[in-house]
Formats: sequence, structure tokens, C-alpha cells
Amino acid sequence: MSLFWSVIRQLAEIEAMATSKKVITRDDWEKKLNDVKIQKEDMNKLVMNFLVTEGYVDAAEKFRKESGTEPDIDLATITDRMAVKKAVQSGNVEDAIEKVNDLNPEILDTNPQLFFHLQQQRLIELIRNGKVEEALEFAQEELAPRGEENQSFLEELERTVALLAFEDVKNSPVGDLLDISQRLKTASEVNAAILTSQSHEKDPKLPSLLRMLLWAQNQLDEKAAYPRITDLFTATLEDPSV
Amino acid sequence: MPGSASSTHRPEGLIERLRSAAADGGEAKLKVLRELKNQIIGNRTKKLSYIKLGAVPSVVSILSSASSSVDCLLVQCAATIGSFACGVDAGVKAVLDAGAFPHLINLLSHSNEKVVDAGARALKMIYQSKAAPKYDFFQQKNIEFLISLLDKNNENVTGLGASIITHSCETNNEQKILANAGVLKKLINLLKGTTTQRDASLESFATIIQQNPEVITKFVGPENGTTWGSLLELTKDRYPRTRLLACICLTKIKNAAPSYLQSVGIRTKLILVLLELVDDFGQVGDEALFTLSSFIEHEEDLQKLAFEANTIDKLCHQMQKESLQAKRLQGIFTILANLCSNLESCRSIVLQSPKALTIITDALTHTTTDVRVAACVCLKNVSRSVKLLSAGHFMTEAVIMPVIQLLYDTSTSVQVAALCTVSNLVVDFRPHKSLFVQSGGVKQLVELSKSMDSSVRLNAVWALRNLMFLVDTRSKEEIFMEIKLFPLTRLVSDSNPSVQEQALGLVCNLVNGPLDSIMYLFTEEGLLLNTVGRELRRASKPQVLVQAMYVMCNVASGKEFEKEAVMHQLLSHSSEDDNTESIIVSLLQSDVASLRTAAVWTVVNLTIPTGAGALARVVKLRNAGVVSQLKNMVNDPCLDVKLRVRTALGQSMTFGDFST
Repeated sequence: MSLFWSVIRQLAEIEAMATSKKVITRDDWEKKLNDVKIQKEDMNKLVMNFLVTEGYVDAAEKFRKESGTEPDIDLATITDRMAVKKAVQSGNVEDAIEKVNDLNPEILDTNPQLFFHLQQQRLIELIRNGKVEEALEFAQEELAPRGEENQSFLEELERTVALLAFEDVKNSPVGDLLDISQRLKTASEVNAAILTSQSHEKDPKLPSLLRMLLWAQNQLDEKAAYPRITDLFTATLEDPSV
Repeated sequence: MPGSASSTHRPEGLIERLRSAAADGGEAKLKVLRELKNQIIGNRTKKLSYIKLGAVPSVVSILSSASSSVDCLLVQCAATIGSFACGVDAGVKAVLDAGAFPHLINLLSHSNEKVVDAGARALKMIYQSKAAPKYDFFQQKNIEFLISLLDKNNENVTGLGASIITHSCETNNEQKILANAGVLKKLINLLKGTTTQRDASLESFATIIQQNPEVITKFVGPENGTTWGSLLELTKDRYPRTRLLACICLTKIKNAAPSYLQSVGIRTKLILVLLELVDDFGQVGDEALFTLSSFIEHEEDLQKLAFEANTIDKLCHQMQKESLQAKRLQGIFTILANLCSNLESCRSIVLQSPKALTIITDALTHTTTDVRVAACVCLKNVSRSVKLLSAGHFMTEAVIMPVIQLLYDTSTSVQVAALCTVSNLVVDFRPHKSLFVQSGGVKQLVELSKSMDSSVRLNAVWALRNLMFLVDTRSKEEIFMEIKLFPLTRLVSDSNPSVQEQALGLVCNLVNGPLDSIMYLFTEEGLLLNTVGRELRRASKPQVLVQAMYVMCNVASGKEFEKEAVMHQLLSHSSEDDNTESIIVSLLQSDVASLRTAAVWTVVNLTIPTGAGALARVVKLRNAGVVSQLKNMVNDPCLDVKLRVRTALGQSMTFGDFST
């Protein structure tokens, strides 16, 4: 990211000059910021990358029309991906699996861990709905063979089946499996796998850029007082406290 | 029962519906295909049971009779066939037997991109299996077809092209054909494509350059700036798998054409990248281990660099983790073995690392053959240290017992590795040997020395030879009782010269030491001595002759009786023809310095000027032309020979110079 690195370079220069804690006024800071040339297209790409990765397909479509930024992926595939994600999030795992297989049969065929987690989620949903016999049958037929192939799958399977053993499941040591966060975890795993299969990064660039900004500011705090950004939502420069 | 919904999912029911759908046609086809596809994807067990029930031919028959306008049916067929072929060799075979191949190829020229994708994916799956047929690169039209695949703007189709190469390109000639047809250039262009394309082309790229310096010089190398640059750049890629593949390519370049990749900077960088990849606990990390191992294998400098990059600490630390997969353990042991093959500092660090030796010896009983072999080789190389050996670190029950157990292993490769390790462990250092003898190791070594497999036989004899080295008289007797005279005689005249060499070395160690030891050669009317003598006249491999000569040399250090026996052996002629020179003279004339040394040493022992027969022996040797031959050798280029020749001549002169 050119923006980030030019800021870093500036910070490094300042750091080199600083013998004691240096104070940089808002004017100086803004002047320096103005010296950094940032391409509008780069910013747009960053936004588009965020919308695409997070699956905001309508927003991405609007943004494409308004800004002329071409997404690096067919927007139609986002709809499919979101449908899969949503299906897992609402507990329709079988439906999600079918959708993934329609999208690209290679994903689950070459990713045993993801496949196992989806099947495990299916089992969890059966148990949640009180379909005990069906759950047992499913565990035996579909999941047990995977456990034989892989030790860690077996352990996870045992943990999941243990859900059947507790009367008060919610307060049992395996209660977390029934939590909504488990669905979200599985959903995000599928989402990431689909993105990877589309040669797309699993995470948007923007959050990591913000993390780098915070890191750089923390580094600089030790050397200088400057107008820093504390509120990331407004990105306002705060006057340096001297 | 409440689970009745899932009983329609049972293979038998579905297969019934599939058959009737294939026969009747109609809308049912699509539904049943989709159901089958969703059942088998990701599920190896189901794939196998459906294959057994004969599902594949039905699917292929739907594909072959489908009209090319029913796109979604074509897609479902291809996807189902592809899944049957994915990761299951029996599936690939079933798909090919059912005649799916030409139909899938037809899909590649379909107008609907989704159909093309599905067809290409299925074919790619087939080519990712070892069971796939070999693609014939020698036919021009096949090469043209391959290039047309790589030219397509569809990552599944280019991926198929790359898979065909990775699967089928094996020989030097095939590599050349592909490179010269411009395939390498196409692959390099694909490096700019999507992640999937990049990885697939890196993989085929590695296949085409593997062990082929000619192709590398022509197409890669630093003078082909862009390719070289892209490969280096890709070692920093954001995706671990891409970094790994770039490292694999560079490793293959270095191994085939060592003049590339001499820069210490790049070498260190590569080691660091690979070490970082090792942190990945999946397939990438495993492969990184093997790549690193192959990168440093034959070069001590690289081993040093890897050592300095803290490879050992890292691996020893990782080794401590519980429930490591077999591949991971094998990889770790292989690298440690490489590092310890030459560098003493590595050996001591491994040994100092807490639990490392325990983990290695535990792995000797691992259920996976490759792990047992790797652990064994690792133990062998760690024990190459004379210092650590003599400190008795290895001659403990904890180490020796599992190693001996491996001598009984069902796998030949494990046996050979174990024999090499035993060879190392038993060498020298008397106090520790008895443990091995007492633990019943000798019996199995002797058993293996009778193996039909010559590498097992060779290493077993080698281990016995080392065990016999400087062993105390009692153990020596015990070992000899196990080996027995006749089998030992047979080994001395084994059909494999390397086995002979070790067997003679074993005899040499047997007769070395107190005079009693020499008597082993004289039992049964001197059977063993005669056999050694016969090999001296018959063998052609210098190393065999050297060992045989040292046996004679040791015997010649005995008393009158022994010396006379050696005289008899050495003064006989190499053929029936009496006019040829005696065996000792022809061996003194050998081109091989070590053989001349052994021969002169023997003469030195025979000409020691004490004993009743000393004068007579010197006369006999002189008459046989030995003394005049020695005189020709006073300025021998080999210093060792030169010195001994002077001793021998000096000794023969004590009785006066009869040369005039």
C-alpha cells in the first residue's frame, strides 16, 4: 500500500531527527500529509476490496458504477458466496454444502478439514433440533469414517457427540458448540475457502492497514508529540498534547 | 424410524434411481446426479462404495448421451465424474474404464464457460492421480493441444495443462521437447496470473527443469533475468504455498546446475523462508521440510548456513510436540540426519537437546516405515561422532534394543538403515560391545548376512565386520560361533564384490590381535585361508584385493607355520601357466597405491629376519622376482609404499645381497 509506506517513511524521517521528544504542530503535520500523493484509484480499490471480501454485493455494484472501479472478481460469485455463508449461519448446513459444490466441487473435495467442520456443524444442528436418532446415524455413517482418517477429527467428533450426554447442554463443558459463535466460525471458514478458491485473499486489506496505522502511531508516540488519529471512525487529527 | 429420511441416501437406493434415470432420461437425471455428487464430494468412503456398486458407468453413459445443449446436465456429469477421480485411484480407473475421457475432452470446446470449467476440473483430477495414463509428448498434435490449453484464458483449463505436465513429464527428452516447444515460456507467463495459475505453473515448471542442466541453462538462470527475478520474488509471496513452490524450483535449479545460486545471500534467504514455512502444520510445512532437506543435502556449506539459522533448535523444539503426523516426523529426522552427516557441532547440539535422543529412538518403533527409516538414518548420523560414541551415549539398552528390533523389520529399507546404524554403533570401543552381543543382535546380523537381497547382505556383513573390530577374545569367539566357518567362506566368495570386500574386512578383523585368532583361518585344512588366497588370484576389484592382502598380511605376522602358509598362497601363480609371474609380484605392480601398500606390508612381515625359515623365505621371494620388483619401487609416488619398500628391502639385505 503506497499510502501506508509513504507515511511510514515520513515517520521514520521524523524519528531520525528526534533526539528528545519532538513536537510537531498541526500545520507542519498537515503540510507533510499534503506532500504524500495518494492516487484516488488506489483508495477506490481499497474500498472495493473491502466490499467484495466482506460480501456487500449491492454496495460493490453501486460503487463500481459511481467510481468506475472494477472489482477483481465476478460480482455474481459474491452473491453465491453470501448465500452459502447465510445458509451456515442460519443452520441450513446441507443446503450450504450443496451450494458450495455447485460453486466449485473442488473446494470440499480437496479440503478435508473444512468438509469435516461442515459435517460436524450438520451434526450439531441435528442435536440442537432434538433429532437424536438421526444425529447418531449421521455421526456413525458420515463422520466416523473421517475420524478414522484423522486423529484430530476423531477428538472433535467425540466432543460433539458428547452433546448428547448432557441434560443441561448449555452449561456443559461442550456447550460452546451449540453457541451461535460456532456457526459463525464455520461460516467464516467456508467463506475463506471460497475466496481462496477464487484466488482472492480471505481478509480485506483495510483492517490490516488500520492495524498498521495504530502500530506506527504507537511507535511514534515514544519519540514525538504529533496530531494523532485516535478515533478511527472520524479520522480526525487531534492536537498534540504538550 | 425417524431417520428414514436418510435411508433414501443409502447407496443401494440411489444407485437404483441412477440406473433408471440413465435408461429413461428426463428430468430425473439432473436431480439424481446432483444428489450423487453431493454425497460423494469430500467423502472417500462413499466414493469407494458407489464405485463398487457400478455408479461410474451410469454417469458416463448419461454424459455420452446428453445433448450438448443441456448445459446443466453436462456440468453435473462432469462434476460427479471429477469427484470420483479426486483423491481416489480406484475412481480414476473406473472413470477411464467407463470411457469418460473423450467425452470430457469434448467439453473443453463447449461454448458455455461453466461446462468448460467442469470438464477441465474433472480432467485435472484425473491427471493428478498416479493412475492416469501417460500423456505422449512425442506426438506433435499432443504438444499443440497442450499449448492450446495453456493459452486459454480460463484457470481451470490452464491448470489442466499444468497438471498434464506435472503428471507425465519424466524423462530428459520429454523435458527438452516441452521446453523447446515454448511450454516453459508459457508457464513463466502464467506466473503473472491468479494464485491458482501461479501455483500450478510453478509445479510444472519444477517438473520440466528437474535434473536437467541443459534446460536450465537455456531457459532459466540469472541471465534470463525476468524468470530468475520472478522466482526470487515469489519466495516472498504472501501465500505460503506459492513461497514453497518457488523455493522448490530454486532448489531444483541448484541441485541440477550448482553454479547457479552461489550467492550466500540468496542461499541464506531460501533457508530462512523454508524454515518459516515449517511453522505451517499442514502439507506446506511438511513439504518445506523435505525441500530444505534436499536443498542442503550434498553441500556442507549449506548445512553450515542452515545450522547458523538455528535449524536444529527449531526442529528439536518442534519434535517435542505431541501427536506429530508421520510426514512431519520423517521430514524433521531427514533434515537432522543431513545436518549431522558432516557437522560435529550439529551432532552435539542434537544430543544436548532435551529428549531429542529419546524421541529419535522412540520413533524407531513408529508404525510408518518411512519414519522408522528416517529415525534410523538420523541416529546413524548423530552417532558418526567419535567423541559421542566413545562417551557411550548410544550403547545403552534404550538405544540398542529398538535398533536390534529393526533388524527383524519386514521392510528391507528399514533393515538396511538399521544395519548401517548398527555398523556405526558397534565400531571400536570395546567396553560397550558386549551389550550388543548379549542382546542377541549378532544372531540376526548373521541371519541377514544370508539374505537374498544384496544390499541387506552387504550391510549385514559390514556391521559384523565393524563389530569384529578390536573386539575382546571371548566376544570374538562368540561372534565366530554364530557366523560359522562355511557361511563365512561363502561370503568371501560372494557374487557381489562389495559383499566380498566387507567379508574379507571381517576376516581381517577376525585374525587381527593375539596369535590364537589366526588359527580361525587354519581349521578344516585351512579352508578360509585357501578361499582368501583364491580370491587374491581371481578377484578384479582393487578393494577386494586390498582386503584379501591385509588378511595375508595379518597371517604373515604369525610364526613360522603361518608365514609358510602365506608364502605358499602368494607365490602361486595367477593362472595355470607357470611362466607368468607370481601373484605377489603382479599385485606389487598394481596401479592402485593402497593395494601396493598392502602387498609391501605383507612382504615386510614375511621378511622379518628372525625365525628358522627366514633365510629360505627371502631366497624364495628373490627367486620369484619379488626383490627386484621392490627395487623398482624405491621411488614409488606413494610415500607409504616407498617407506615400506625400504623396510622390506632392508630386511632382505640382512642375509646379504645376492644380486650380483
